Amino acid sequence: MKKYILFIAIFFTIGIAGCKKDYLSLEVNPNQPSVSPPGLTLAAALNNAAAIVNTNYSQDGVWVGWWTNSGNYVPNPALDQFQITNTSYTAVWSNLYANLTNFNNLVLANQKDPTLGNYAAISMIMKAYDFEQLVDQFGDVPYSQAFQPSTILNPQYDGAQAIYNDLVKQLDAAIALINKGGAANPGTSDIVFGGNMVGWKKFANSLKLRLAIRQSTKFASNAASADLAATASEGYLDDTIDAEANPGFANTLSGANDQASPFWSNYGFDVNGNATFPNNYYRGNVFYINTLNGFNDPRINQIYAPTSAGGVIGGNVFGDNTTSVKGNPNTSAIGPGLLKSPTMNAVLMSGAESLFLQAEAALDTYITTSDPLGAQGLYQRGITASFKAMGLTAAQAITYYAQAIPNVGWAASPNKQEAIIYQKWIALTGYSCLEGYLEYERTGFPVLPSPLSADPSAISTFAPIRQFYPLSELTSNAGPLAKEGTINIFTTKIFWEK
Amino acid sequence: MKKLLLVSLCFLMLCITQVFAQNRTVTGTVTAKEDGLPIPGVTVKVRGTNNGTQTNTAGKYTLAGVPAGATLTFSFIGYQTQNVVPAGATANVVLTLASNQLGEVVVTTALGIKQPARSLGYSTASVTAQSLVATAPTNVANGLTAKVAGLAVYSLDNGVDPNVSIVLRGNRSLEGNNNALIVVDGVPIPGGSLSAVNPNDIADITILKGASSAALYGSEASNGAVLITTKRGTGDGKPVIVYQNSYQLENVSYYPKLQNQFGPYGGEGSYRVPGTNNFVAATDPITGAPEYIPYENQIYGPAYNGQLVPIGAPVGSATGPIQMIPYAAQKKNPIEQFFQTGMTEQNDISFSQGDAKNAFYISAQNAYRTTVVPSDVNIKNAFSVRGHRTYGIFSADYSVGYTKTRVSTYNSGIGVGSVSGISGSYVTNAGAADLYSSVLQLPAFLNLATIKDPDGFYGNPNDFYDAYAINPYWVLKHSRRNISKDQLLSQLKLRLDPAKWIGISYQLSDNFGINQERQTQDEVDFSKYATDDYFSAGNVPSGFAATGKSPGQVNDYYSFGDGANFPNPGYSRIQGDALIDLHYNFLKDLKTSLVLGNSIRQQYFKYIATGSKNLLIPGFYNINTIGGTISASEASFMIRNISNFGDLNIGWKNFINFEATLRQEQDSRLSKAERTFYYPSAKLSFIPTDAIPFLKDNHILNYAKLYGSFSRVGNIDVGPYTIQNVYNLAGGFPYGSLGGLTQGGTNYSSTLKPELTTEVELGAELSFFDSRLAVNATWYDQHVKNQTVPIGTSITTGYSSTLTNIGETESYGEEFQVTGDILTQAQNKFGFQLGANFSINDSKVISLLPNITSLSLGNRQYAVVGQPFPLMEGTDFVRDPQGHVVVSATTGYPSAAQTLTTYGRTTPKYDLGLNTRLAYKFVSLTAVAEYRGGDVVYNGIGGTLDFTGSGYTSASAGRQPFVFPNSVINTGTAANPVYTPNTNVNVRDGNYGFWQGSAYASVDYPYVSSGAFWKLREVNLSFNLDQFVKQSKFVKGITVALTGRNLFMFVPKNNPWTDPEFSDSSPTSNLRGTNDIRETPGTRVFGGSLRVTF
Repeated sequence: MKKYILFIAIFFTIGIAGCKKDYLSLEVNPNQPSVSPPGLTLAAALNNAAAIVNTNYSQDGVWVGWWTNSGNYVPNPALDQFQITNTSYTAVWSNLYANLTNFNNLVLANQKDPTLGNYAAISMIMKAYDFEQLVDQFGDVPYSQAFQPSTILNPQYDGAQAIYNDLVKQLDAAIALINKGGAANPGTSDIVFGGNMVGWKKFANSLKLRLAIRQSTKFASNAASADLAATASEGYLDDTIDAEANPGFANTLSGANDQASPFWSNYGFDVNGNATFPNNYYRGNVFYINTLNGFNDPRINQIYAPTSAGGVIGGNVFGDNTTSVKGNPNTSAIGPGLLKSPTMNAVLMSGAESLFLQAEAALDTYITTSDPLGAQGLYQRGITASFKAMGLTAAQAITYYAQAIPNVGWAASPNKQEAIIYQKWIALTGYSCLEGYLEYERTGFPVLPSPLSADPSAISTFAPIRQFYPLSELTSNAGPLAKEGTINIFTTKIFWEK
Repeated sequence: MKKLLLVSLCFLMLCITQVFAQNRTVTGTVTAKEDGLPIPGVTVKVRGTNNGTQTNTAGKYTLAGVPAGATLTFSFIGYQTQNVVPAGATANVVLTLASNQLGEVVVTTALGIKQPARSLGYSTASVTAQSLVATAPTNVANGLTAKVAGLAVYSLDNGVDPNVSIVLRGNRSLEGNNNALIVVDGVPIPGGSLSAVNPNDIADITILKGASSAALYGSEASNGAVLITTKRGTGDGKPVIVYQNSYQLENVSYYPKLQNQFGPYGGEGSYRVPGTNNFVAATDPITGAPEYIPYENQIYGPAYNGQLVPIGAPVGSATGPIQMIPYAAQKKNPIEQFFQTGMTEQNDISFSQGDAKNAFYISAQNAYRTTVVPSDVNIKNAFSVRGHRTYGIFSADYSVGYTKTRVSTYNSGIGVGSVSGISGSYVTNAGAADLYSSVLQLPAFLNLATIKDPDGFYGNPNDFYDAYAINPYWVLKHSRRNISKDQLLSQLKLRLDPAKWIGISYQLSDNFGINQERQTQDEVDFSKYATDDYFSAGNVPSGFAATGKSPGQVNDYYSFGDGANFPNPGYSRIQGDALIDLHYNFLKDLKTSLVLGNSIRQQYFKYIATGSKNLLIPGFYNINTIGGTISASEASFMIRNISNFGDLNIGWKNFINFEATLRQEQDSRLSKAERTFYYPSAKLSFIPTDAIPFLKDNHILNYAKLYGSFSRVGNIDVGPYTIQNVYNLAGGFPYGSLGGLTQGGTNYSSTLKPELTTEVELGAELSFFDSRLAVNATWYDQHVKNQTVPIGTSITTGYSSTLTNIGETESYGEEFQVTGDILTQAQNKFGFQLGANFSINDSKVISLLPNITSLSLGNRQYAVVGQPFPLMEGTDFVRDPQGHVVVSATTGYPSAAQTLTTYGRTTPKYDLGLNTRLAYKFVSLTAVAEYRGGDVVYNGIGGTLDFTGSGYTSASAGRQPFVFPNSVINTGTAANPVYTPNTNVNVRDGNYGFWQGSAYASVDYPYVSSGAFWKLREVNLSFNLDQFVKQSKFVKGITVALTGRNLFMFVPKNNPWTDPEFSDSSPTSNLRGTNDIRETPGTRVFGGSLRVTF
C-alpha cells in the first residue's frame, strides 16, 4: 500500500513540478503594444483628424452645391432623395469619437507627466476641433461623461450650447498651457505645425472665432464672442499660416493602405494613377458652374477638370436622372487646384477660412483688426489666399475682386456678410465640405436651388439640417439618447440654427 | 435481465458447491470486440463450480484449478456471456456487446473511462460507425446530422472545404464559442482538426450532451463533448483487410427563385450613342418603359421579345464584330447553367490485426472532391497507425494520424490580420467582387458558352459584355485560393496495473496542423479601346485608364495551429494527462471507484501573412518583385492550463449509483487573481426495475432508469491577452520613420472572471416489450452567470466594445429519443426499425448589466432581457399601429422606420430527426430525415438578387407600378396621423425605382424569412453480399450500397433564397441566421459505395 501511495505522490509531483512558477503568467500581449508613446499617439490622431474632415463629408459637398453624381450611376436614395435613416452618413460619429479618445488620452497622460504640456495643449485644441463637428451635426452629444469607460458605460448627453461654452474655455486653457512653457516639444510628431506652438495658438484662436461666428446669427452676443478679446493678441491663422497636416504623404502603399494625402487618395487617384470611384462619381454641379461663371471666377478651372468628351467645364443638375446631356464624359471631375498631388497637405483649417471668419467678426465688431481696410481688407486677403491655395496668383485675385459684381467686389455687395459667405463657400470647396454646409445652414448663403434635388422621389425640397443619432447609440446608449426625444432631420434645429 | 438472474444464480451455486479439483492454471486476457481494448472486471468462472476470478485493469486473469475439459464462463455487464473450453494454459477471449439491451451497454465516458450505461446519472447518446458512414460523408460532423436529440450540426456553406459546427443543447454563451468539445481517444482536439479525422477510422462516437457529463473535461467541455473512439485491431488474431470505395455526384438542389422575363437595364436615365456625344433617354419616350441597355449589369430592362439584339460593345475595336443574340430567355437560366455536377471519390484501405495482448490498425484514405463550382477541388490523403500492446502489468496505446489536404478554390477575399484578403476580382465596386454575385448578374438571355473562356473572344476583360461586372469565369481561372493543410493527431498512453485495484496511466498528445494558403489574382491588361469606354458608360476598364492595367496580387498566409483555414484557424495543442484509477468493492454490494488526475496543456497559434497588390511581372507571384512595400503581419497566441480533478463513483447493489466530480483549473488567460476556479458535479442514477421487486422480470416495462445530475462548470470564453488594452497601428503609418498608434476599439479588464454554467438535468430511460421499444427523455436547465461578452458600448466611452462579465442567461429544454424495433429481422425475415429524436431548446436572457436591457451582439443580433438569444432585430418599414405599411401618398413607396423590429430567434427551437431501417434478407434501406424550425434567417442574398434584378421577387409585379400590399396612407398630419387603406396609390416606379431605389431594398424586413426546413438527410440502400462470397477463402465479405445525402429540402414559401442552414459567420461564432453571397446554393449528393473485406 505504501508503495502505491509513493507512486501517486511521485506522479503528481512530476506533474506539478514540471511547470515553472510563472508557467501561467502569459498576460503580456506579444502582438500589440499596451502602451503608446505620446508622439505616436499624437501623429496618428492628427493624421486621422485630417482624414475625417477631408473625406467624411462628401454628401455635404453635394448638398451645398459643389458636386453631384454624374448620372452614370444608380440613384442613391439617401443622397439624392434625402431618404436618410440612422445608418446613413453616421460613420463620422464613431470616427470622431475614436479620434477624440486618442486626444483625450494625451490630456490624461499630461496629468501624470507634466512634461507633456504641449501634447496636452494640442490635444485640447483638437478636441475642440472634433467636438465642434459633432455638436454642429448632432446637437447634444456626450461630452462631460465621455471617455470614462471604467465607470460610465452610458454617458449622458450634454447640451449643445454648454459644450460650445466649455470648448471656448478649453481653448483658452490650451493657449495658457502652451504659454506656461517648459514642456517637451512634440517636434516631428506634430504633423501640423512641426512643433511650432505659435501655430497651435493661432489655430486655437481661429477655432474660438469659428465658435463665436457660428452662434452669431442667432445669438449676436455669446460666450465665445465675449471671450475673443482675452486671447486676441495671439493672432489668427491667415495668409501666412494654415493648419494643414502632413506626416510625409507619399504615392505608395504601406501594406494595404494608401499613403497619399487623404483628399487625393479618396477623390483622386490610386498609387497607380487610376481614378478612384469617388473621382468618377462626384462631378461638376451645374449650379456651381453657373455661379462661378457669373462671377467670372478663374478658380472654376482649378476646381473642375475639363470634360473628357468636350474639354469644357461641364456638370449635371443634382438629382436629375432624365436630362440627356450627362454621363461621365460630359461632366467635370474634381480639378487640379484641389487635387494637387499625392503629397499635398491635408487641410484642417485654411488661412482663407480664418480670414473670412475674421472679416465677419470684424463686421460684427467681435474683433478689432489691424488691417487698414478693416473687414474689406480681411475679405480680400481671404480671396487672395484662396486663389493662391488653388494655384492662381495674387494678381488674378485682385483683378477678380475688383469686379463690380455683388458677392465678389466688396463695394458692389449690398450684403457684406453674404459676400463673405459666398467667397468663403468657394474657398472651402472640397477640403471642408462640412464647413461649407454648416455655414449655409447658418446663413442661408449661397442661395441654393429649390427644390435642391431634381429627383422626383426626393422627400424634401432641401437637404437635412442635421443628422440622426447613429444606430449604434440607439443600441448601446439608449437610455441617455431617449432624453433627446424624436429627431426630425428636416426640422429639429441645432441650437445655433435660426 | 435473464443474464443477471443467471449470474445471481451462479453466485448462489458457487456458495454451496465445494472446491472440487486441483488441476492446471489458465491465464489470458479479455478484450472487447468493438475496440479491442481490454475489459477489466470480467467474471471468469469454471462452469459448474465456485472457482472464479475477475480480470484486472489490463483485462488479464489468472485462474488456478481448472480441470481438463472444463468450460470457462466469461461474463460482464453489457456483454454477451461466453463459454470457452481452454485448449492449453492460455485462453484469450473476445466479448461482444449485448446489442440493444438498454442499460447493459457500456459507454465510454469522460477521460475514456468505460462505464455501464445503467450507472450514469446523465444523458448520453451513441452513434455507431455503421450509421456514421452510411452515406460516406467526408467529414465526421455530417455523419452525425439528425441522429442525436439535442445535437445540431450546422453546415455553414457548400464550399469545397466547408465550414461545419456542432452544437449541443443550443446556445449557452451569448457571444463565445458554443461548439461541442471534440475528443478523440480520450484527448480533446482542436475543432478545426475534426475534418482531418477519417470517418472510416472511427469505431464509435459517444455524445456527452450536457455540462454535467463533461465536467471532468473542465472548462472546454461546458458545451458538451463528442467522444470519438477510433479503431484498433480486432481480437481474434486474424488479419482483416477492408477496402472501400465510394463515388458520389453532387448537384445544386436549391437555386434561388429566378426571373426569366426581363433583360438588362440599370436605372439610368440615358446612355451615349456610341461614336457620338449624343445621349439618348434610356426610357421609351412613349411608354416610359425602360429600354434595353446592351452593357448593363442590372436586369431591369424590357421584357424578352425574341428580337435579335446586340450584347456588349463591338469586340476589339469600334468597328469590330458585335455579338447579336435573340432577346429571349434561355431554356435554363445561365445562372443555373453556370454550376456543374460535382464529384467525390473516396478510396479507403485498412489493415487490422489483434489478439488479446496486441492490436494494430493501419489505414489510408484518399478523397477527391469537386463541387458544383467549376474548377474547385479538394484532395485529402489521410494515413493513420494505431495500436495497443500489453507487457505484463504495463500496457501502451498509441495512435498517429496524418492528413494532408489540398484545396483549390475561387477567391472570395477572405483575409486575416492587417493583411486583408484579395477581393475576387479587379472590379472594386458595383458589388461584383465575389463569384456568386457576378453569377447573379447574368441575364436570362445570355449564351453562357460565349463567355466561358475568360481570355477568349467575348469573354476577356476588354470585351466582356458587362460594363460594370466581371466575367465569373475570370474569377474561376484567374483569382484563386490554394490551400495546403498538414494536420497531425497523435497520442501515446502508457498504463501500469500494479494491482487489481489500481491502475496508473499517463497520456501525452500532440495535435497540430500547418496551414499554408496563397491567394492570387492575375494581372489584367486593358486595351486602349476598352479603357476608352465605347459606350461612355463609366465601365470597369475606364477605371484603369492611367496605366492600362490592374496589377497582379498575391497574399500568403502561413500558420501553425490546428491547420484550419483562415479566417477561422484554431490552436495547436500539447497535453499531458496523468490518471490514477482506484476501484474497490468494500462489501459485496458496495462498489467504489476513484479517479484522480492532473492535466496540463499548452495551446499555441502563430501566423505570418505577407502580400502585395502590385506585382510587377504578370503571373509571377513573389513578394520580392513588387512595386511599393510588402504588406506583412504576424501574431502569436498561447494558452496554458493546469487542472487537477477527481471522480468518485459509489454503486450499491447494481441499481443505485452515485458519482461526484471535482475539478480545479488554472488558466493563463485570466489575471492571477481570477485564474483559479473550481467546479463540482454530482450525479445519481436509480434502476427501479432492479430495485423494486414487483417491477422485476416484467416484460412490458423491462428496464427503467431514472437519473439526475447537478453541475457547475467554469468556462473561459476569451482568447489570450484580453485583459489588457492595446494600441493598433494607425492606417497609413509608418510614414518614413514616423510611427503612429491608435487606441484599440475594445476595452479589456484585468478583473475578467470565468463564465459559470450551472446545469440541472433530470431524465428517464425506459425500455418496453423486451427492449423492442426504448424511450429516453431528458429535461435540462442551464444558467450561465458572468457571461463574458464584448458588449457593444457607445463609442462615446472611447471604446466601441467592452469585454466584460455580464448578467445571467438561461437555456433549457427537453430531449426525447425513441427507438422501436417494430419487426426484428431474425424472427420475421423482414426487419423494420423506426427511430425519432426530438429536442426543444429555449433560452432566455435573465439579466444583462444594471439599467441595460438590450445588447448588440453584432450581425443584426441582440440579447434582450426576457427574450431568447440571439434575437434578430432589424430595420422595418414605417407601419401604422395595426402593422400595415405606411406608404407615401405621392410616390407610393414605403419608408424605413427609425426603431428596430424584433424578428425572432436565430437558432432553431425545434429539431426533429427521424430514422428508419428496413431490412429483408441481405438488403437493407436506411433513411434519415430532419426538421428544424422556430428560427428566422436574414437572407443577405435577397438584397443581391434585387440589386441585380435576377431574382423572382423583383419581377413578381411584372415590373409595373403596383399598390404596395396591405399598405395605408397617412391622410392626417405628422403629429396626428390618420391612416387610410391605400387602394390606388401605385409605387411611382414598379421597376428599378422600387426594387432598388426605394426603402424596400434598404430595410431588413423583405429579406427576413423563416429558418425552418425539412431535409431528407440520408438514404442508404445496401446489399450485403457476404453469403455469396462465403466459399471464397480470400474474400470474406462484400457490401454494395447506393447512397444519397440531402436529397430533398422543403422550406416555407417566404424563403425563395437559399438553404437556411447556411451562414456567413465563422464556425466558432454563434451568430447564425444571416447569409450572404459567399455561400453558393445548396446541393444534393448521391452515389454508390463498395466495401470488400479480406
